[in-house]
Amino acid sequence: MGPLPRTVELFYDVLSPYSWLGFEILCRYKNIWNVHLQLRPSLIAGIMKSSGNKPPALVPSKGKYLTNDIKLLGQHVQVPIRIPKDFFSVILEKGSLSAMRFLTAVNMEHPEMLEKVSRELWMRVWSRDEDITEPGSILAAAEKAGMSTEGARALLEKISTPQVKNQLKETTEAACKYGAFGLPVTVAHLDGQTQMLFGSDRMELLAYLLGEKWMGPVPSAVSARL
Amino acid sequence: MGPLPRTVELFYDVLSPYSWLGFEILCRYKNIWNVHLQLRPSLIAGIMKSSGNKPPALVPSKGKYLTNDIKLLGQHVQVPIRIPKDFFSVILEKGSLSAMRFLTAVNMEHPEMLEKVSRELWMRVWSRDEDITEPGSILAAAEKAGMSTEGARALLEKISTPQVKNQLKETTEAACKYGAFGLPVTVAHLDGQTQMLFGSDRMELLAYLLGEKEASALKPSTALPGAVESASDMREFLHPGEKWMGPVPSAVSARL
Repeated sequence: MGPLPRTVELFYDVLSPYSWLGFEILCRYKNIWNVHLQLRPSLIAGIMKSSGNKPPALVPSKGKYLTNDIKLLGQHVQVPIRIPKDFFSVILEKGSLSAMRFLTAVNMEHPEMLEKVSRELWMRVWSRDEDITEPGSILAAAEKAGMSTEGARALLEKISTPQVKNQLKETTEAACKYGAFGLPVTVAHLDGQTQMLFGSDRMELLAYLLGEKWMGPVPSAVSARL
Repeated sequence: MGPLPRTVELFYDVLSPYSWLGFEILCRYKNIWNVHLQLRPSLIAGIMKSSGNKPPALVPSKGKYLTNDIKLLGQHVQVPIRIPKDFFSVILEKGSLSAMRFLTAVNMEHPEMLEKVSRELWMRVWSRDEDITEPGSILAAAEKAGMSTEGARALLEKISTPQVKNQLKETTEAACKYGAFGLPVTVAHLDGQTQMLFGSDRMELLAYLLGEKEASALKPSTALPGAVESASDMREFLHPGEKWMGPVPSAVSARL
């Protein structure tokens, strides 16, 4: 038997497009590298508040740059990301509180569904410019991911319970304790040390730290470990 | 004869550690990829002012993160980068005005020396925690890069002339016109379009934009379930490949 897999935590919020890019890259590599990927649904709004940081798009030239950067990265990483028509409203007004509470509940009761439900929420807001704040929107994403309507409804009812609210708060605080000032944050638990990496553009560095091979953001399927 | 080399501009300031990382990666690839690398000495302070952005280290958790990020990237990119003891003083108080004016003058009169002199200035401030603001410091860097003392002194005298001051201003403004809010900024002049990329961590994306990697990396089946095929899947047939081989490409791949 080989060495034990290293734990890699990914803190993310479906409101964050760069989180989606990092998420898809890690989902591809989790079956190639000797790692145990732990998805950590978090609230980017909470992280911004805690750290005193601000969404980058608030600097006009940054905002303009980001929309093009996201488009190019979407092509390179092969993720069908499209900027919503009312970008600022989606990020600054509508937010992702219910969605991230829902994913928190999914993680607590059906963790095997977390990846798919997360993806369907991103597909709504960051590919098809659809709402993710209304109960109906969240249910639609859950069903598209393969959850039953009853199962999804049951979880939706739990999103306003103290347990779910507190769990999301705790996960978000954990990201802050690692030093997060935005998302996505990847935490690699290496031999004897922990490294926190910010951004979807630190995956090649992660490979270097893990001693694993980087084969670009879309690794060839033939290299997948059986 | 193959296709014409594409022009890649690199706007940088020796005050910026991430500029150093981007600079070294592009200097390695300029002899591997079919590109013409044009170095553009700029003033990061001017870009910040123009864009209304602020140095990232002013957010405490960002500052803490950056110091570790720079250290890790230095190892990965194999650049001997070390955070200066008084980081804030170096960046916010001492700055790089004279150094970048000097590099501007080098670029105007001895462009073949620009790469080496730039590197020696970075080695001073971002590896050995040495000053780059005093005339003596700048001369030492120029000499270490291979300039004669007389040649370096002559250039140093020109840094306060209107021509040099204006050239640095123009280059900095050019970066701002491309949309810069920080440095390094890489501008790729592709067939019919220009792409501006920010940061030392966009070089793999640059390789993608300049051409394609092996066809196997682009199969839609390895992408998202239900991902729409895009025009980019056709690129492998339109452009010769520019390969990304990590930040320290193997010397055997160098084009002769």
